Amino acid sequence: MKKFVIVIASFGFIFLTSCKVQKEGIVIMTDHSYKATLLANNKIGIGSPDGLLWHKGKLYFADEGGVALESWNRTEGLKKLADASVGFLSPEDLVIDAQDNIFFTDDDAGGLWEYTADGKLREVAGKDKGLISTEGIAMAKDGSLLVGDGEQHEVFRVTRDGNVSEFLGKEAGITKPESMVFDDQGNLYIADNEDNVLYLLDANRKLHRIIDRNEAFSPETIYYSKGSLYITDSHNCKLYVYTPGEELKTIAAFGGQLKNVQGVTVDDQGNILLSVQSDLKHKVGNIIEISKEETQVAKK
Amino acid sequence: MVLSALMPLFLISSVDRLSDLNDQLLLLLNSAAGRSWLFDSLVAFFLDNDLAKAGVIGCCFLAAWYGGKSSNSTNARRKILITTLVAAVCVITTTKVLSKTIFLPRPEIQSQKIYRLDGDQLVEMKRMPVRFMLDEESQKSYHALLNGDVETNDLGSFPSDHAGFFIAISLGIWLASRRLGWLALGWTAIVILGGKMISAQHTPLDIAAGAGVAIVELSAIQYVLRKRFNGILERLTSLTLRYSALSSAIVFLVAFEVSSTMIHIRAFLGLLAAMRRHVLLGMG
Repeated sequence: MKKFVIVIASFGFIFLTSCKVQKEGIVIMTDHSYKATLLANNKIGIGSPDGLLWHKGKLYFADEGGVALESWNRTEGLKKLADASVGFLSPEDLVIDAQDNIFFTDDDAGGLWEYTADGKLREVAGKDKGLISTEGIAMAKDGSLLVGDGEQHEVFRVTRDGNVSEFLGKEAGITKPESMVFDDQGNLYIADNEDNVLYLLDANRKLHRIIDRNEAFSPETIYYSKGSLYITDSHNCKLYVYTPGEELKTIAAFGGQLKNVQGVTVDDQGNILLSVQSDLKHKVGNIIEISKEETQVAKK
Repeated sequence: MVLSALMPLFLISSVDRLSDLNDQLLLLLNSAAGRSWLFDSLVAFFLDNDLAKAGVIGCCFLAAWYGGKSSNSTNARRKILITTLVAAVCVITTTKVLSKTIFLPRPEIQSQKIYRLDGDQLVEMKRMPVRFMLDEESQKSYHALLNGDVETNDLGSFPSDHAGFFIAISLGIWLASRRLGWLALGWTAIVILGGKMISAQHTPLDIAAGAGVAIVELSAIQYVLRKRFNGILERLTSLTLRYSALSSAIVFLVAFEVSSTMIHIRAFLGLLAAMRRHVLLGMG
Protein backbone atom coordinates (compact mmCIF):
# COMPACT_ATOMS: atom_id res chain seq x y z
CA MET A 1 0.00 0.00 0.00
CA LYS A 2 2.88 2.32 0.87
CA LYS A 3 4.35 1.81 -2.60
CA PHE A 4 0.97 2.59 -4.09
CA VAL A 5 0.77 5.88 -2.18
CA ILE A 6 4.34 6.78 -3.18
CA VAL A 7 3.55 6.09 -6.84
CA ILE A 8 0.38 8.19 -6.67
CA ALA A 9 2.11 11.03 -4.81
CA SER A 10 4.98 10.98 -7.36
CA PHE A 11 2.51 11.06 -10.22
CA GLY A 12 0.73 14.02 -8.61
CA PHE A 13 4.02 15.84 -8.07
CA ILE A 14 5.17 15.26 -11.67
CA PHE A 15 1.78 16.34 -12.96
CA LEU A 16 1.81 19.56 -10.98
CA THR A 17 5.41 20.49 -11.71
CA SER A 18 5.30 19.62 -15.41
CA CYS A 19 2.58 22.20 -16.06
CA LYS A 20 3.59 25.71 -17.02
CA VAL A 21 2.60 27.48 -13.83
CA GLN A 22 2.70 31.17 -14.50
CA LYS A 23 0.41 34.11 -14.75
CA GLU A 24 -0.23 34.89 -18.36
CA GLY A 25 -2.10 37.55 -20.20
CA ILE A 26 -4.24 37.68 -23.30
CA VAL A 27 -5.75 40.18 -25.67
CA ILE A 28 -8.92 39.08 -27.44
CA MET A 29 -9.56 41.08 -30.60
CA THR A 30 -13.30 41.51 -30.98
CA ASP A 31 -12.62 43.72 -33.98
CA HIS A 32 -10.59 41.38 -36.19
CA SER A 33 -9.25 44.21 -38.34
CA TYR A 34 -6.83 45.08 -35.51
CA LYS A 35 -3.77 43.29 -34.22
CA ALA A 36 -1.99 43.59 -30.87
CA THR A 37 1.71 43.90 -30.12
CA LEU A 38 3.63 44.45 -26.92
CA LEU A 39 5.31 47.80 -27.43
CA ALA A 40 7.21 47.98 -24.13
CA ASN A 41 7.41 46.50 -20.67
CA ASN A 42 9.50 46.90 -17.52
CA LYS A 43 12.66 46.05 -19.45
CA ILE A 44 12.72 49.59 -20.89
CA GLY A 45 12.73 50.95 -17.33
CA ILE A 46 9.11 51.95 -16.74
CA GLY A 47 7.28 51.05 -13.55
CA SER A 48 3.53 50.74 -13.88
CA PRO A 49 2.21 53.71 -15.87
CA ASP A 50 -1.31 55.04 -15.59
CA GLY A 51 -1.75 57.98 -17.97
CA LEU A 52 0.15 58.06 -21.23
CA LEU A 53 0.25 60.55 -24.08
CA TRP A 54 1.76 60.57 -27.55
CA HIS A 55 3.29 63.95 -28.34
CA LYS A 56 5.69 64.93 -31.12
CA GLY A 57 7.07 61.44 -31.72
CA LYS A 58 7.45 60.56 -28.04
CA LEU A 59 5.37 58.66 -25.57
CA TYR A 60 4.98 60.35 -22.17
CA PHE A 61 4.10 58.37 -19.06
CA ALA A 62 2.50 59.38 -15.78
CA ASP A 63 4.18 56.40 -14.13
CA GLU A 64 2.07 55.74 -11.04
CA GLY A 65 3.95 52.57 -10.03
CA GLY A 66 7.40 54.03 -10.68
CA VAL A 67 6.34 57.40 -9.15
CA ALA A 68 7.89 59.32 -12.04
CA LEU A 69 7.18 61.34 -15.12
CA GLU A 70 8.90 59.77 -18.12
CA SER A 71 9.27 60.04 -21.87
CA TRP A 72 10.19 57.28 -24.32
CA ASN A 73 10.78 56.55 -27.96
CA ARG A 74 12.59 53.77 -29.76
CA THR A 75 15.71 55.77 -30.62
CA GLU A 76 16.27 57.66 -27.37
CA GLY A 77 14.91 55.06 -24.96
CA LEU A 78 13.41 55.99 -21.60
CA LYS A 79 14.10 59.35 -20.03
CA LYS A 80 13.07 60.10 -16.45
CA LEU A 81 11.87 63.71 -16.38
CA ALA A 82 10.91 63.95 -12.72
CA ASP A 83 10.59 61.60 -9.77
CA ALA A 84 9.14 61.33 -6.26
CA SER A 85 11.89 63.45 -4.71
CA VAL A 86 9.99 66.59 -5.69
CA GLY A 87 6.85 65.70 -3.74
CA PHE A 88 4.34 64.02 -6.02
CA LEU A 89 3.16 60.52 -5.08
CA SER A 90 0.96 58.94 -7.75
CA PRO A 91 1.09 60.61 -11.15
CA GLU A 92 -2.29 59.95 -12.70
CA ASP A 93 -3.03 61.68 -15.97
CA LEU A 94 -1.25 64.22 -18.16
CA VAL A 95 -1.63 66.80 -20.94
CA ILE A 96 1.03 68.67 -22.91
CA ASP A 97 0.67 72.12 -24.43
CA ALA A 98 2.05 73.34 -27.75
CA GLN A 99 5.18 74.64 -26.01
CA ASP A 100 5.89 71.13 -24.61
CA ASN A 101 5.03 72.00 -21.01
CA ILE A 102 3.63 68.91 -19.29
CA PHE A 103 0.81 69.17 -16.76
CA PHE A 104 -0.17 66.21 -14.62
CA THR A 105 -2.45 65.23 -11.76
CA ASP A 106 -1.84 63.12 -8.68
CA ASP A 107 -4.63 61.26 -6.88
CA ASP A 108 -2.59 60.76 -3.67
CA ALA A 109 -0.64 64.00 -3.27
CA GLY A 110 -3.38 66.01 -4.96
CA GLY A 111 -2.66 69.24 -6.81
CA LEU A 112 -1.79 70.14 -10.38
CA TRP A 113 1.85 69.77 -11.35
CA GLU A 114 3.84 71.22 -14.23
CA TYR A 115 7.05 70.02 -15.81
CA THR A 116 8.16 72.88 -18.00
CA ALA A 117 9.77 72.54 -21.42
CA ASP A 118 13.06 73.74 -19.91
CA GLY A 119 13.04 70.96 -17.33
CA LYS A 120 11.68 72.61 -14.16
CA LEU A 121 9.05 71.03 -11.97
CA ARG A 122 6.54 73.00 -9.92
CA GLU A 123 3.20 72.55 -8.23
CA VAL A 124 0.82 74.92 -10.00
CA ALA A 125 -1.86 74.56 -7.30
CA GLY A 126 -1.97 72.18 -4.37
CA LYS A 127 -4.19 70.71 -1.71
CA ASP A 128 -4.37 74.07 0.04
CA LYS A 129 -6.38 75.35 -2.93
CA GLY A 130 -8.84 72.47 -2.75
CA LEU A 131 -7.23 70.03 -5.18
CA ILE A 132 -7.33 67.01 -2.84
CA SER A 133 -7.26 63.97 -5.14
CA THR A 134 -6.75 65.02 -8.73
CA GLU A 135 -7.68 62.62 -11.53
CA GLY A 136 -8.65 63.65 -15.06
CA ILE A 137 -7.05 66.61 -16.80
CA ALA A 138 -7.86 68.52 -19.99
CA MET A 139 -6.51 71.70 -21.51
CA ALA A 140 -9.04 74.39 -22.39
CA LYS A 141 -8.70 76.61 -25.45
CA ASP A 142 -7.66 79.59 -23.29
CA GLY A 143 -4.71 77.58 -21.93
CA SER A 144 -6.21 76.97 -18.49
CA LEU A 145 -6.39 73.43 -17.15
CA LEU A 146 -9.54 71.57 -16.17
CA VAL A 147 -8.83 69.19 -13.31
CA GLY A 148 -11.23 66.57 -11.94
CA ASP A 149 -11.16 65.80 -8.23
CA GLY A 150 -12.34 62.38 -7.06
CA GLU A 151 -12.79 63.35 -3.43
CA GLN A 152 -14.42 66.73 -3.97
CA HIS A 153 -16.57 65.31 -6.79
CA GLU A 154 -15.97 68.46 -8.80
CA VAL A 155 -14.12 69.73 -11.83
CA PHE A 156 -11.92 72.78 -11.24
CA ARG A 157 -10.43 75.30 -13.62
CA VAL A 158 -6.80 76.08 -12.83
CA THR A 159 -4.98 78.96 -14.50
CA ARG A 160 -1.26 78.83 -15.22
CA ASP A 161 -0.61 81.18 -12.30
CA GLY A 162 -2.36 78.83 -9.89
CA ASN A 163 -5.81 80.36 -9.50
CA VAL A 164 -8.42 77.71 -8.83
CA SER A 165 -12.12 78.14 -9.56
CA GLU A 166 -15.07 75.80 -9.78
CA PHE A 167 -15.83 74.65 -13.32
CA LEU A 168 -18.42 71.93 -12.59
CA GLY A 169 -19.68 71.80 -9.02
CA LYS A 170 -21.13 68.94 -6.99
CA GLU A 171 -24.60 69.71 -8.38
CA ALA A 172 -23.43 68.35 -11.75
CA GLY A 173 -23.53 64.90 -10.11
CA ILE A 174 -20.18 63.66 -11.37
CA THR A 175 -18.74 61.43 -8.63
CA LYS A 176 -15.26 60.73 -10.00
CA PRO A 177 -14.05 62.70 -13.02
CA GLU A 178 -11.37 60.11 -13.81
CA SER A 179 -10.55 61.30 -17.30
CA MET A 180 -11.45 64.26 -19.52
CA VAL A 181 -10.82 65.24 -23.11
CA PHE A 182 -12.02 67.88 -25.58
CA ASP A 183 -13.19 66.91 -29.05
CA ASP A 184 -12.51 69.06 -32.13
CA GLN A 185 -15.88 70.87 -31.69
CA GLY A 186 -14.99 72.08 -28.21
CA ASN A 187 -17.23 69.58 -26.41
CA LEU A 188 -15.76 68.12 -23.24
CA TYR A 189 -16.07 64.38 -22.60
CA ILE A 190 -15.88 63.36 -18.94
CA ALA A 191 -15.41 59.75 -17.78
CA ASP A 192 -16.81 58.91 -14.35
CA ASN A 193 -15.58 55.44 -13.42
CA GLU A 194 -17.40 55.37 -10.09
CA ASP A 195 -20.91 55.98 -11.41
CA ASN A 196 -19.86 54.32 -14.67
CA VAL A 197 -21.07 57.12 -16.92
CA LEU A 198 -19.58 58.92 -19.90
CA TYR A 199 -20.71 62.54 -19.94
CA LEU A 200 -20.52 65.17 -22.62
CA LEU A 201 -20.50 68.86 -21.72
CA ASP A 202 -21.49 70.70 -24.87
CA ALA A 203 -20.46 74.20 -25.93
CA ASN A 204 -23.60 75.58 -24.21
CA ARG A 205 -22.43 74.00 -20.94
CA LYS A 206 -25.24 71.46 -20.99
CA LEU A 207 -24.24 68.10 -19.51
CA HIS A 208 -25.42 64.95 -21.34
CA ARG A 209 -25.14 61.34 -20.20
CA ILE A 210 -23.80 59.75 -23.38
CA ILE A 211 -23.21 56.19 -22.15
CA ASP A 212 -24.72 54.90 -18.95
CA ARG A 213 -24.69 51.12 -18.68
CA ASN A 214 -23.89 50.60 -15.02
CA GLU A 215 -22.26 47.18 -14.60
CA ALA A 216 -21.20 46.63 -18.19
CA PHE A 217 -19.29 49.87 -18.73
CA SER A 218 -16.83 51.77 -16.58
CA PRO A 219 -14.77 54.40 -18.44
CA GLU A 220 -11.23 54.65 -17.08
CA THR A 221 -9.42 56.84 -19.61
CA ILE A 222 -10.70 58.58 -22.73
CA TYR A 223 -8.78 59.96 -25.70
CA TYR A 224 -10.18 61.77 -28.71
CA SER A 225 -8.62 61.31 -32.14
CA LYS A 226 -9.93 61.98 -35.65
CA GLY A 227 -13.64 61.93 -34.81
CA SER A 228 -13.52 58.93 -32.48
CA LEU A 229 -13.31 58.60 -28.74
CA TYR A 230 -11.14 55.72 -27.49
CA ILE A 231 -12.11 54.43 -24.05
CA THR A 232 -10.37 52.01 -21.71
CA ASP A 233 -12.38 50.15 -19.08
CA SER A 234 -10.33 48.64 -16.27
CA HIS A 235 -13.37 47.06 -14.57
CA ASN A 236 -14.59 45.19 -17.62
CA CYS A 237 -11.07 44.91 -19.11
CA LYS A 238 -11.91 46.35 -22.50
CA LEU A 239 -10.97 48.92 -25.08
CA TYR A 240 -13.86 50.61 -26.86
CA VAL A 241 -14.27 53.13 -29.61
CA TYR A 242 -17.18 55.56 -29.57
CA THR A 243 -18.13 57.59 -32.59
CA PRO A 244 -20.96 60.13 -32.08
CA GLY A 245 -24.16 58.85 -33.61
CA GLU A 246 -22.96 55.25 -33.56
CA GLU A 247 -23.06 52.39 -31.06
CA LEU A 248 -20.20 51.87 -28.63
CA LYS A 249 -17.92 49.25 -30.22
CA THR A 250 -15.52 46.94 -28.41
CA ILE A 251 -12.14 46.69 -30.09
CA ALA A 252 -10.45 44.32 -27.67
CA ALA A 253 -10.90 42.56 -24.34
CA PHE A 254 -8.03 41.81 -21.99
CA GLY A 255 -7.40 39.00 -19.55
CA GLY A 256 -4.87 37.58 -17.12
CA GLN A 257 -2.04 39.94 -16.23
CA LEU A 258 -3.07 42.31 -19.04
CA LYS A 259 -6.58 42.88 -17.75
CA ASN A 260 -5.99 46.15 -15.91
CA VAL A 261 -6.00 48.53 -18.90
CA GLN A 262 -5.52 52.12 -17.84
CA GLY A 263 -4.30 54.92 -20.11
CA VAL A 264 -4.96 55.31 -23.81
CA THR A 265 -3.52 57.52 -26.52
CA VAL A 266 -3.15 57.43 -30.31
CA ASP A 267 0.11 57.98 -32.19
CA ASP A 268 0.68 59.79 -35.50
CA GLN A 269 0.03 56.63 -37.52
CA GLY A 270 -3.32 56.05 -35.80
CA ASN A 271 -2.05 53.18 -33.64
CA ILE A 272 -3.78 52.93 -30.27
CA LEU A 273 -1.35 52.77 -27.35
CA LEU A 274 -2.47 51.44 -23.98
CA SER A 275 -0.89 51.27 -20.57
CA VAL A 276 -1.59 48.16 -18.51
CA GLN A 277 -0.96 48.05 -14.78
CA SER A 278 -0.23 44.36 -14.32
CA ASP A 279 0.88 44.79 -10.71
CA LEU A 280 0.95 48.32 -9.38
CA LYS A 281 2.40 47.34 -6.00
CA HIS A 282 5.34 45.53 -7.58
CA LYS A 283 5.72 48.10 -10.38
CA VAL A 284 4.86 45.74 -13.21
CA GLY A 285 3.46 47.43 -16.28
CA ASN A 286 3.11 46.89 -20.02
CA ILE A 287 2.46 49.09 -23.02
CA ILE A 288 0.34 47.52 -25.75
CA GLU A 289 -0.06 48.76 -29.29
CA ILE A 290 -3.33 48.02 -31.06
CA SER A 291 -2.95 48.68 -34.77
CA LYS A 292 -4.77 47.90 -37.98
CA GLU A 293 -3.74 44.70 -39.77
CA GLU A 294 -1.54 45.43 -42.78
CA THR A 295 -4.22 44.24 -45.20
CA GLN A 296 -6.62 46.79 -43.68
CA VAL A 297 -4.03 49.54 -43.99
CA ALA A 298 -3.41 48.56 -47.64
CA LYS A 299 -7.16 48.66 -48.34
CA LYS A 300 -7.34 52.16 -46.88
CA MET B 1 24.94 11.45 -23.95
CA VAL B 2 22.95 10.97 -27.16
CA LEU B 3 19.94 9.95 -25.10
CA SER B 4 20.05 13.07 -22.94
CA ALA B 5 20.30 15.20 -26.08
CA LEU B 6 17.34 13.44 -27.71
CA MET B 7 15.19 13.52 -24.57
CA PRO B 8 14.00 17.15 -24.92
CA LEU B 9 13.18 16.57 -28.60
CA PHE B 10 11.23 13.46 -27.69
CA LEU B 11 9.35 15.35 -24.96
CA ILE B 12 8.51 18.25 -27.27
CA SER B 13 7.25 15.95 -30.01
CA SER B 14 5.21 13.98 -27.45
CA VAL B 15 3.62 17.16 -26.10
CA ASP B 16 2.85 18.31 -29.66
CA ARG B 17 1.31 14.97 -30.54
CA LEU B 18 -0.75 14.96 -27.33
CA SER B 19 -1.91 18.49 -28.05
CA ASP B 20 -2.91 17.54 -31.62
CA LEU B 21 -4.76 14.48 -30.38
CA ASN B 22 -6.52 16.62 -27.78
CA ASP B 23 -7.63 19.12 -30.45
CA GLN B 24 -8.77 16.38 -32.82
CA LEU B 25 -10.79 14.65 -30.11
CA LEU B 26 -12.40 17.90 -29.08
CA LEU B 27 -13.32 18.82 -32.65
CA LEU B 28 -14.74 15.35 -33.20
CA LEU B 29 -17.00 15.62 -30.13
CA ASN B 30 -17.83 19.25 -30.86
CA SER B 31 -18.84 18.37 -34.43
CA ALA B 32 -22.17 17.23 -32.97
CA ALA B 33 -22.96 20.81 -31.90
CA GLY B 34 -24.55 23.50 -34.03
CA ARG B 35 -26.51 21.12 -36.29
CA SER B 36 -29.78 20.55 -34.49
CA TRP B 37 -31.57 22.97 -32.20
CA LEU B 38 -33.23 20.05 -30.38
CA PHE B 39 -29.99 18.17 -29.71
CA ASP B 40 -28.19 21.35 -28.60
CA SER B 41 -31.06 22.36 -26.33
CA LEU B 42 -30.99 18.91 -24.71
CA VAL B 43 -27.22 19.09 -24.14
CA ALA B 44 -27.55 22.64 -22.78
CA PHE B 45 -30.41 21.58 -20.50
CA PHE B 46 -28.31 18.86 -18.89
CA LEU B 47 -25.39 21.27 -18.57
CA ASP B 48 -27.31 24.11 -16.98
CA ASN B 49 -30.01 22.40 -14.94
CA ASP B 50 -28.62 21.28 -11.59
CA LEU B 51 -31.38 18.75 -10.99
CA ALA B 52 -30.88 17.10 -14.36
CA LYS B 53 -27.11 17.40 -14.28
CA ALA B 54 -26.17 16.46 -10.76
CA GLY B 55 -29.44 15.32 -9.14
CA VAL B 56 -28.62 11.77 -10.26
CA ILE B 57 -25.25 11.93 -8.50
CA GLY B 58 -26.94 13.27 -5.34
CA CYS B 59 -29.49 10.42 -5.49
CA CYS B 60 -26.71 7.84 -5.92
CA PHE B 61 -24.92 9.35 -2.93
CA LEU B 62 -28.07 9.12 -0.76
CA ALA B 63 -28.79 5.58 -1.93
CA ALA B 64 -25.25 4.51 -1.12
CA TRP B 65 -25.51 6.18 2.30
CA TYR B 66 -28.67 4.28 3.27
CA GLY B 67 -28.16 1.17 1.17
CA GLY B 68 -26.07 -1.05 3.50
CA LYS B 69 -27.48 -4.51 4.09
CA SER B 70 -26.19 -4.69 7.65
CA SER B 71 -25.06 -2.12 10.19
CA ASN B 72 -21.47 -3.14 9.49
CA SER B 73 -21.75 -2.57 5.76
CA THR B 74 -23.66 0.70 6.34
CA ASN B 75 -20.85 1.77 8.66
CA ALA B 76 -18.22 0.91 6.05
CA ARG B 77 -20.10 2.74 3.28
CA ARG B 78 -20.57 5.86 5.41
CA LYS B 79 -16.87 5.97 6.26
CA ILE B 80 -16.04 5.91 2.56
CA LEU B 81 -18.66 8.55 1.74
CA ILE B 82 -17.58 10.93 4.54
CA THR B 83 -13.99 10.61 3.34
CA THR B 84 -15.19 11.20 -0.22
CA LEU B 85 -16.78 14.49 0.80
CA VAL B 86 -13.52 15.65 2.39
CA ALA B 87 -11.67 14.61 -0.79
CA ALA B 88 -14.22 16.39 -3.03
CA VAL B 89 -13.63 19.68 -1.18
CA CYS B 90 -9.85 19.23 -1.57
CA VAL B 91 -10.24 18.35 -5.25
CA ILE B 92 -12.34 21.41 -6.05
CA THR B 93 -9.85 23.61 -4.17
CA THR B 94 -6.92 22.10 -6.12
CA THR B 95 -8.61 22.42 -9.52
CA LYS B 96 -9.64 26.02 -8.79
CA VAL B 97 -6.11 26.97 -7.72
CA LEU B 98 -4.57 25.22 -10.74
CA SER B 99 -6.99 26.79 -13.19
CA LYS B 100 -6.11 30.22 -11.82
CA THR B 101 -2.38 29.62 -12.29
CA ILE B 102 -2.30 27.59 -15.50
CA PHE B 103 -3.48 29.76 -18.30
CA LEU B 104 -5.58 27.98 -20.88
CA PRO B 105 -8.77 29.64 -22.13
CA ARG B 106 -11.83 27.57 -22.92
CA PRO B 107 -11.85 26.20 -26.50
CA GLU B 108 -14.88 28.37 -27.34
CA ILE B 109 -12.78 31.43 -26.38
CA GLN B 110 -9.88 30.08 -28.45
CA SER B 111 -12.13 30.29 -31.51
CA GLN B 112 -11.52 34.06 -31.46
CA LYS B 113 -8.49 36.06 -32.54
CA ILE B 114 -6.40 35.97 -29.38
CA TYR B 115 -2.94 37.22 -28.57
CA ARG B 116 -1.17 35.62 -25.66
CA LEU B 117 1.68 37.17 -23.70
CA ASP B 118 4.74 35.01 -24.29
CA GLY B 119 7.81 36.54 -22.68
CA ASP B 120 8.29 39.96 -24.25
CA GLN B 121 5.83 39.60 -27.07
CA LEU B 122 2.20 39.02 -27.85
CA VAL B 123 1.84 35.91 -29.96
CA GLU B 124 -1.32 35.10 -31.90
CA MET B 125 -2.79 31.83 -30.68
CA LYS B 126 -3.90 29.03 -32.95
CA ARG B 127 -7.62 29.47 -33.53
CA MET B 128 -9.83 26.54 -32.63
CA PRO B 129 -12.56 26.13 -35.26
CA VAL B 130 -15.25 25.06 -32.79
CA ARG B 131 -18.97 24.96 -33.54
CA PHE B 132 -21.38 26.83 -31.29
CA MET B 133 -24.59 25.32 -30.00
CA LEU B 134 -27.90 26.64 -31.28
CA ASP B 135 -29.88 26.84 -28.03
CA GLU B 136 -30.83 30.27 -26.70
CA GLU B 137 -28.33 30.46 -23.82
CA SER B 138 -25.38 29.30 -25.93
CA GLN B 139 -26.25 31.79 -28.64
CA LYS B 140 -26.44 34.56 -26.02
CA SER B 141 -23.02 33.70 -24.66
CA TYR B 142 -21.65 33.41 -28.23
CA HIS B 143 -22.81 36.95 -29.01
CA ALA B 144 -21.42 38.15 -25.68
CA LEU B 145 -18.09 36.57 -26.67
CA LEU B 146 -18.15 38.39 -30.00
CA ASN B 147 -18.59 41.57 -27.96
CA GLY B 148 -15.59 40.68 -25.82
CA ASP B 149 -17.56 39.72 -22.71
CA VAL B 150 -15.27 37.10 -21.27
CA GLU B 151 -15.47 35.97 -17.67
CA THR B 152 -12.26 35.39 -15.74
CA ASN B 153 -13.40 31.81 -15.14
CA ASP B 154 -13.34 31.24 -18.90
CA LEU B 155 -9.61 31.95 -19.11
CA GLY B 156 -8.52 29.03 -16.95
CA SER B 157 -10.22 25.87 -18.19
CA PHE B 158 -7.39 23.51 -17.22
CA PRO B 159 -8.13 21.36 -15.29
CA SER B 160 -11.90 20.99 -15.34
CA ASP B 161 -13.31 21.48 -11.83
CA HIS B 162 -16.53 19.75 -12.89
CA ALA B 163 -14.51 16.67 -13.88
CA GLY B 164 -12.55 16.77 -10.63
CA PHE B 165 -15.56 17.24 -8.37
CA PHE B 166 -17.99 14.81 -9.98
CA ILE B 167 -15.42 12.10 -10.61
CA ALA B 168 -14.28 12.32 -6.97
CA ILE B 169 -17.88 11.96 -5.74
CA SER B 170 -18.75 9.23 -8.26
CA LEU B 171 -15.59 7.26 -7.48
CA GLY B 172 -16.38 7.54 -3.77
CA ILE B 173 -19.86 6.18 -4.47
CA TRP B 174 -18.26 3.41 -6.54
CA LEU B 175 -16.02 2.47 -3.62
CA ALA B 176 -19.09 2.30 -1.37
CA SER B 177 -21.39 0.56 -3.82
CA ARG B 178 -20.31 -0.80 -7.19
CA ARG B 179 -23.75 -0.70 -8.87
CA LEU B 180 -24.56 2.86 -7.80
CA GLY B 181 -20.98 3.87 -8.55
CA TRP B 182 -21.17 2.69 -12.17
CA LEU B 183 -24.38 4.65 -12.60
CA ALA B 184 -22.81 7.80 -11.11
CA LEU B 185 -19.61 7.40 -13.13
CA GLY B 186 -21.54 6.77 -16.34
CA TRP B 187 -23.75 9.81 -15.77
CA THR B 188 -20.71 11.96 -14.99
CA ALA B 189 -18.79 10.81 -18.04
CA ILE B 190 -21.56 10.87 -20.62
CA VAL B 191 -24.03 13.53 -19.50
CA ILE B 192 -21.95 16.02 -17.48
CA LEU B 193 -18.49 15.81 -19.05
CA GLY B 194 -19.63 14.78 -22.54
CA GLY B 195 -21.81 17.91 -22.64
CA LYS B 196 -18.86 20.04 -21.57
CA MET B 197 -16.82 18.78 -24.55
CA ILE B 198 -19.67 18.90 -27.08
CA SER B 199 -20.28 22.54 -26.14
CA ALA B 200 -16.49 23.26 -26.36
CA GLN B 201 -16.28 24.42 -22.74
CA HIS B 202 -13.54 21.91 -22.01
CA THR B 203 -11.06 19.84 -23.99
CA PRO B 204 -10.51 16.12 -23.29
CA LEU B 205 -7.19 17.13 -21.71
CA ASP B 206 -8.96 19.46 -19.22
CA ILE B 207 -11.30 16.60 -18.31
CA ALA B 208 -8.46 14.07 -18.02
CA ALA B 209 -6.48 16.43 -15.78
CA GLY B 210 -9.53 17.06 -13.54
CA ALA B 211 -10.09 13.31 -13.34
CA GLY B 212 -6.40 12.79 -12.55
CA VAL B 213 -6.57 15.24 -9.64
CA ALA B 214 -9.73 13.51 -8.39
CA ILE B 215 -8.21 10.02 -8.53
CA VAL B 216 -4.94 11.07 -6.89
CA GLU B 217 -6.52 13.08 -4.08
CA LEU B 218 -9.37 10.66 -3.41
CA SER B 219 -6.91 7.74 -3.16
CA ALA B 220 -4.52 9.66 -0.93
CA ILE B 221 -7.23 11.04 1.36
CA GLN B 222 -9.02 7.67 1.61
CA TYR B 223 -5.70 6.07 2.57
CA VAL B 224 -4.61 8.73 5.07
CA LEU B 225 -7.97 9.18 6.79
CA ARG B 226 -8.62 5.48 7.10
CA LYS B 227 -5.11 4.71 8.33
CA ARG B 228 -4.57 7.66 10.64
CA PHE B 229 -8.03 8.89 11.56
CA ASN B 230 -10.06 5.71 11.59
CA GLY B 231 -11.13 6.38 15.18
CA ILE B 232 -12.73 9.68 14.26
CA LEU B 233 -14.43 8.11 11.23
CA GLU B 234 -15.77 5.28 13.44
CA ARG B 235 -17.14 7.79 15.92
CA LEU B 236 -18.74 9.88 13.16
CA THR B 237 -20.43 6.92 11.52
CA SER B 238 -21.74 5.59 14.83
CA LEU B 239 -23.12 9.06 15.54
CA THR B 240 -24.96 9.00 12.20
CA LEU B 241 -26.58 5.73 13.24
CA ARG B 242 -27.43 6.90 16.76
CA TYR B 243 -28.86 10.27 15.64
CA SER B 244 -30.35 9.07 12.40
CA ALA B 245 -32.94 11.88 12.06
CA LEU B 246 -30.35 14.63 12.44
CA SER B 247 -27.81 12.86 10.26
CA SER B 248 -30.46 12.30 7.57
CA ALA B 249 -31.15 16.03 7.54
CA ILE B 250 -27.44 16.79 7.23
CA VAL B 251 -26.93 14.18 4.51
CA PHE B 252 -29.89 15.64 2.61
CA LEU B 253 -28.21 19.06 2.76
CA VAL B 254 -24.91 17.57 1.62
CA ALA B 255 -26.56 15.69 -1.27
CA PHE B 256 -28.42 18.89 -2.18
CA GLU B 257 -25.14 20.79 -2.31
CA VAL B 258 -23.43 18.03 -4.26
CA SER B 259 -26.29 18.28 -6.76
CA SER B 260 -25.67 21.98 -7.18
CA THR B 261 -21.84 21.86 -7.23
CA MET B 262 -21.77 23.65 -3.86
CA ILE B 263 -23.03 26.88 -5.43
CA HIS B 264 -25.01 27.83 -2.30
CA ILE B 265 -22.05 27.24 0.02
CA ARG B 266 -19.87 29.34 -2.29
CA ALA B 267 -22.50 32.11 -2.21
CA PHE B 268 -22.58 31.90 1.59
CA LEU B 269 -18.77 32.15 1.78
CA GLY B 270 -18.99 35.15 -0.56
CA LEU B 271 -21.50 36.76 1.81
CA LEU B 272 -19.15 36.16 4.76
CA ALA B 273 -16.28 37.75 2.83
CA ALA B 274 -18.45 40.75 1.96
CA MET B 275 -19.55 41.07 5.61
CA ARG B 276 -15.91 41.00 6.69
CA ARG B 277 -15.09 43.76 4.20
CA HIS B 278 -18.07 45.94 5.06
CA VAL B 279 -18.47 45.41 8.80
CA LEU B 280 -15.03 44.56 10.14
CA LEU B 281 -12.86 46.53 7.73
CA GLY B 282 -15.41 49.34 7.30
CA MET B 283 -15.11 49.44 3.51
CA GLY B 284 -18.43 51.02 2.71
